[in-house]
Amino acid sequence: MSTGSTARTGSTAQGSTPNGRGYRGALRRPRGIVGAAVLVVLVAAALLVPLFTAGYDAQSTDTFAAPGWEHPFGTDELGRDIAVRTLYGLRVDLVLLSAGVLAAMVVGTLLGAAGALSRTAGLALQRVLDIVQGFPSLILGMVIALLLGPGIGALTVSIAIFSLPGFARLARAGLLAQERRDYVLAAQTLGISRWRVLVRHIIPNTIDPIIVHTAIAMVVAIFLETGLSVVGLGIQPPEPSLGSLLNSGVRFLSLSPAYVLGPALALLLLALSFTLLSDALNEEVLAK
Amino acid sequence: MIGYLIRRIPSAVLVLFATSVLAFVLPRLAPGDPATALAGPEATTVEIDAIRADLGLDRPLLTQYLDWLGHALRGDFATSYVTGRPVVDLIADRAGSTVQLAVLAGALMVVLGLGLGLAAGAVGRGRVRTGIDVLCTVLLAMPAFLSGLLLVLLLGIAVPILPVSGEVSLLDDPEIGIQYLILPALALALPQAAAVGRLLRSAMDQARREEYVRTAVAKGVPARQIVVRHVLRNSLSSSLVTLGIRFGEILGGAIVVEAVFARSGLGELAVTSVYQRDYVVLQALTLIAVGIAVLTQLLTEIGLAALDPRIRLGATT
Repeated sequence: MSTGSTARTGSTAQGSTPNGRGYRGALRRPRGIVGAAVLVVLVAAALLVPLFTAGYDAQSTDTFAAPGWEHPFGTDELGRDIAVRTLYGLRVDLVLLSAGVLAAMVVGTLLGAAGALSRTAGLALQRVLDIVQGFPSLILGMVIALLLGPGIGALTVSIAIFSLPGFARLARAGLLAQERRDYVLAAQTLGISRWRVLVRHIIPNTIDPIIVHTAIAMVVAIFLETGLSVVGLGIQPPEPSLGSLLNSGVRFLSLSPAYVLGPALALLLLALSFTLLSDALNEEVLAK
Repeated sequence: MIGYLIRRIPSAVLVLFATSVLAFVLPRLAPGDPATALAGPEATTVEIDAIRADLGLDRPLLTQYLDWLGHALRGDFATSYVTGRPVVDLIADRAGSTVQLAVLAGALMVVLGLGLGLAAGAVGRGRVRTGIDVLCTVLLAMPAFLSGLLLVLLLGIAVPILPVSGEVSLLDDPEIGIQYLILPALALALPQAAAVGRLLRSAMDQARREEYVRTAVAKGVPARQIVVRHVLRNSLSSSLVTLGIRFGEILGGAIVVEAVFARSGLGELAVTSVYQRDYVVLQALTLIAVGIAVLTQLLTEIGLAALDPRIRLGATT
């Protein structure tokens, strides 16, 4: 939820307007450049790590080594390199977060569209979303962890359910706002088919806030995964994820303080890259 | 004002009612049966059935729900399956720790957040402002437990001046208690303060562009007075809205922060109850958490309506 409010204020801009320079413009802003660069480096490192290392379970006798040349972030209780495990954890996180947020985006947008088409469905949708949003994210995650058993499945479902209301509200509000715009009336007067108006005009004008919202939804999802995993209700060690590595790191905090540095840095950079991208997109794509 | 409140209440009640149903039903769909678990591995079917009847789990779901809700409304949340103690007692034991943490964190959030926002928003540009912007952006990319971990590394291990694990109640020993409380409270407050500060700053930027500010400048009103009387005053309402939401985030974040700092508060109780499949406890905690969230939301809206007559008179949907 951290910067949800900025995303929400942005959404009132009702689609893209001539002043913003669109997605390319966002990549010309300092925040956009830094955010995109950090994200590209993280994704590349996560994708390429199997090519250069012997897997995340390569043990050695060198346990709890301090950070140094051989192990940039030290080693853990079984002598495994923490930097390597962090990158493997990042792979798990990237897959999990994308799956959860993408599912929320598709389902949320469809629900929102249904809510915009029918008044009754719209009111019912609002109430359901109120209820979902009434749950604090971690409590929702815990209830789902209890239901499905802690793990990747429960986390993906939690992320999808928790992110869904944001997308659904944006889609509904966007469609309702476009419907009343003059150009829609103009297009109808010109005899252009409803379907064509929808596909050529309304959807492109509604989709921008939804795409921009994805960045902030990713940040919230990252917090949910790591938070649940740190208390032990997310991804279970020895499977690495940023959260499960932090969970082990917290356990060994007094013995080896450096343990948490690697996963903490990766988490911070990942969240920061999406926050910066979200800022840049809000300013350029949704500019008033 | 009262009319506005009456319009808002049905939806709040609906959310609470739906939550109570969800909190009651969802855990029951989970695999594993508390009666079987309680009876132990060598129990016979007859014994398990006896325990189930004893717990009232053999009755129809609707009867169980109404019974549970009736007791819950009177503040009785049944008895924990695992510990055999009333859930209310379990919660009362832990509540003090979480309340102390949340209150201090909330106060820190308000002070730091408004301070950061005001410091950045009072000036149009400059190094201070850029510095605060960067700080807020980094803090926003941190969940509370991460800022907590960094605080522990910095102030607990690198320069060991504060205790990093465990707790002493403020009521038992205020001087020691506050030392245990500072780091976790600060950890919870920092990310939320950054959000509040950023919002206040951008609201102030927007207010500064208004025509009444230009008029005030033209009249020769001193700069300080313009900031306080015109810019700040017209920017506070959006920050107030966010304070309510942010306080909810503090309560949610407390679950993880308590684990990192080894405090035994309500968050720790919730985590343990999931591990032990003690769903009576989780039900009660879920209902309380959502109740607090709904109440905070309602209070925020009341505060906002008191500030802004347009909302009070129903201009918004």
